[in-house]
Amino acid sequence: MQRTILEKAEPVAEGAVSLLLRGADGPLAPWEPGAHIDLALPNWLTRQYSLCGNPADRDTYRVAVRHDRLSRGGSEYIHLFLNEGRTLDVSVPRNNFPLLPAPEYQFLAGGIGITPIVPMLTAAVEAGASATLVYVGRSLATMPFADELRAAHGSRVRIHTTEQHGRPDFAAEAAALSPRALVYCCGPTSMLDAAEAAFPAQQLHIEHFRPVAKEFAPNKPFDVRCARSGRTVRVSAEDSMLDALNHAGFRIPSGCREGVCGSCEIALVDGEPEHRDDIGAPPGRMYCCVSRALSSDLTVDL
Amino acid sequence: MITHDHHSTSGDAISETRPRRISFAEVRARIGEPEDLIKGKIHDRLDRYCRRFIAHSPFLAMATSDATGLPDSSPRGDYPGFVKVLDERTLAIPDRPGNKLADSFRNLAENDGIGLMFVIPGMREVLRVNGRAYPTDEPDVLARMRTEGKEAELAIVVELTEVFFHCGRALIRSRLWDPASQALAEELPSMGEIAIDQMGLDDADPTVLEEMLEDDYRHLY
Repeated sequence: MQRTILEKAEPVAEGAVSLLLRGADGPLAPWEPGAHIDLALPNWLTRQYSLCGNPADRDTYRVAVRHDRLSRGGSEYIHLFLNEGRTLDVSVPRNNFPLLPAPEYQFLAGGIGITPIVPMLTAAVEAGASATLVYVGRSLATMPFADELRAAHGSRVRIHTTEQHGRPDFAAEAAALSPRALVYCCGPTSMLDAAEAAFPAQQLHIEHFRPVAKEFAPNKPFDVRCARSGRTVRVSAEDSMLDALNHAGFRIPSGCREGVCGSCEIALVDGEPEHRDDIGAPPGRMYCCVSRALSSDLTVDL
Repeated sequence: MITHDHHSTSGDAISETRPRRISFAEVRARIGEPEDLIKGKIHDRLDRYCRRFIAHSPFLAMATSDATGLPDSSPRGDYPGFVKVLDERTLAIPDRPGNKLADSFRNLAENDGIGLMFVIPGMREVLRVNGRAYPTDEPDVLARMRTEGKEAELAIVVELTEVFFHCGRALIRSRLWDPASQALAEELPSMGEIAIDQMGLDDADPTVLEEMLEDDYRHLY
């Protein structure tokens, strides 16, 4: 965790504020476009927000938060109760949505999903790639950073307001897409679904900030063999692997506890995992807050 | 482990003669009239201070009563702000897994009156909310109570009629937030020992019961 001070909380669109967090103990940990931090709130909740400032600025992090109508207490707290000047703990940045090298990029952002895209677009342009952004929102007033993006990137940014123009035509975007281009998409579930339907999977990278509704077979108990410590931990059907490991005395960090943030990543040595997260675990890794085992046991590096 | 508490019967003699009952007029004569300032503290909607209090409260006591007026008080707790403010006169309290007795829900079905006392650790004053309540399964309300990937199955909607801050004297006298007060808990036998004695399970091992309880406490949602 890193200690920061909330230097500024200011509206950036209807129902959206940006938070400027200054490192309280010197420079903050470095990050790359697409990264997010866990923000520990005074009401004990931890929430993940994509960094949308300048990666070269090591003194501050910037995030932006939409007040969710169905807030469970994170965005509501930030909007109604968080005061400037308060100390807030944040995690070291993690990147589940890294910008891979490519000659061309097509960025697609919906509403507050613009946040990871802001530094990604800048980085792509600075790298000399050809990059365009389709930024979708209900109306201009609800779209954070629209002016900032147009000022910085001009005609590379196309603003699409659904109130006036309806849903964007991703099929047309996909038809015009260069085979050398990578597509990065962040936005509401409906937009991610539309992008997945329109763009070739091998060119598309998407980021979820909400778990996707999925069905799994009923939980079965399994054993976790911990290779380094030589211990075996039983995970009952009612327990999560994260809770069982923590109860056994391992100190596994956790954030969202629903498979979107990646804080509980552990290294898998052997066995067949059942990945239930929305990050897409790389080989040899798993997110133990939601993921379980298909085999009767797993061996992990703990 | 305890078997029988040898102090337990010594106070029972009082049942021979009940303490005398006095009228409300006599009570009023003893304690005097409230000042106008105190009367004026009662509001019929939540202002920003009440909302901030509720947003930081991880615990409340919820009082309901049955059709005959027999009351019951039940603890509710979760992360601060677990009670959702739907608007300036409406709250929603999540119902998490408990003992399935559903005492509060049964009471609300007979008598919709409800009294809440919100507490914030470290804060001497408490917030009291009284009103009328009913159970709901409204998806938009339950969605706001989703915790650790699990939704509350039910919630209690409270339409408030009065809300006010209650002074801190009781919490000051009780030293409730003084860490030294926690030593009081050491004066009680364990819940395993109590359960064995209360249920007459003389052969049972209290540590087994305690482990069962601890295991149960690991599944809070």
